[in-house]
Amino acid sequence: MKKILTPLFAVSILILTALAPAIGQTHNLIVISNAKGAPTELSNKELVSVMRGEKQRWNDGTRISVALMKSSTSAGEETSQKIYGMTGDEVNKFWLALVFQGKAKAPVFFNSANELETFILQTPGAIGIVEGSPDIKSKTTIVDGKKTL
Amino acid sequence: MKIKLFIKRKFSCLILIALPLSVATCSAQDTQIRGFAEVLASYQDANKKTSFGLGEQDLFITSELNDRFSFLGESVFKYSASSPTYFDISIERIVVKYNIKGNHNILIGKHHTPINYWNDTYHHGRVFFPTIYRPDLFADHFVPIHTTGISLQGHDLGKLKFGYDIMVGNGIGSGETADNDNTKSLTLAVSIKPMKHLRIGASFYSDKISKGAKDSHSSMNLVKDVTQQLITGSLSYFGKRFEFLSEATSAIDKTDSTGTKQSIAGYAYAGVRLNKFIPYVRADYSQVPEGDLYFHHDTRTSFTGGIRYEINYLTVIKLEYGHTENDAGKSSGITAQIAIGF
Repeated sequence: MKKILTPLFAVSILILTALAPAIGQTHNLIVISNAKGAPTELSNKELVSVMRGEKQRWNDGTRISVALMKSSTSAGEETSQKIYGMTGDEVNKFWLALVFQGKAKAPVFFNSANELETFILQTPGAIGIVEGSPDIKSKTTIVDGKKTL
Repeated sequence: MKIKLFIKRKFSCLILIALPLSVATCSAQDTQIRGFAEVLASYQDANKKTSFGLGEQDLFITSELNDRFSFLGESVFKYSASSPTYFDISIERIVVKYNIKGNHNILIGKHHTPINYWNDTYHHGRVFFPTIYRPDLFADHFVPIHTTGISLQGHDLGKLKFGYDIMVGNGIGSGETADNDNTKSLTLAVSIKPMKHLRIGASFYSDKISKGAKDSHSSMNLVKDVTQQLITGSLSYFGKRFEFLSEATSAIDKTDSTGTKQSIAGYAYAGVRLNKFIPYVRADYSQVPEGDLYFHHDTRTSFTGGIRYEINYLTVIKLEYGHTENDAGKSSGITAQIAIGF
């Protein structure tokens, strides 16, 4: 009996250890922006306001373009919770309503961090939220004195 | 003949040069087409009949033309018994927007009159409607839902997220391409969002509805000029748990012969969000005195109760009971709707 239980126990520990990072996984979300437009530092309140389409232009006059990860990605879902206080589905509804009212320019949604960063690098005034990684080449915007959200 | 050939060749060259340029411009443009549709099933006690029916199909296009200019177009396709094809197409909005500075814009075209929350926020977006049907305030054309004209608009200004609209338009009774008189309608609207999910708004509308224009139900032509002023207030709160929306309009219609007539119309909606289910109620009231030339004399109360199930942000199912009482009698019915966005 002991011979059976010991390997079972060992396998269980192994599975739990492997799953541990996935359970309640959070990303080190960072705010990246094009060299033109966004400031290097923002308060969280200002960031939320920009991400909710409440501001059309940066202080230098450059038009703001919002870039987000799709709500089907885990980074997108976490962005929805942290920035909008909503589920990914609610964020999609929020934006659809705003665009339908003609009050804001629709954000651009991406499947991968690489695609999002390429858009940021190519679009003056663009700002987006992405999982932090050493490969990020864009300007990082500090929020409330912190590099990650 | 030679000149003609020369012009033809030059013209062909111009087309060849212009074509790649126009393609380049188009590819730089950010254009999106979205839409809404609904399918209904209802039982009305008046005819003791259950029916399936199509609602409107709404298509809206947004396009970012350049850094300052953008476009929004909206067309609705709906059943019409009087049309040879049994369907009508209506242009609901054509708006060209120019961003002046910051959050201040100039808009020109055919707009949703920014008179209150429902008209500006939901209009034909059935998937956003908290109930199946519009409040009587809109269904009875108590407020002018469209205006063709020009407006100055600002939003989310300052700590209170102040918003404003100043609109000058052709006014009630005008066609889509020309004004029917020399008086322009004026809409002034302001709003604030003092806390998350809460919006408070007020507006003023003024117009002269000229003799010969259709009345509010499009059933008769006015026999006199009517000077109309509308004052509207609205309060909306759509939070994580509770939803509340209430709007009321006071209309003052004045003619040389009948004097001043004051009418009122309003509604209050409340809902509770229980995950994806939202049970809700709405009460509507309108009262038009005798002698008003533009609105029909009537006192009407309606009650609506239902449940909304939001499958996702593009698919919503509602089941609703409605009861109305007015001078003509009583009516009630049950309606089920599936509203989608695409």
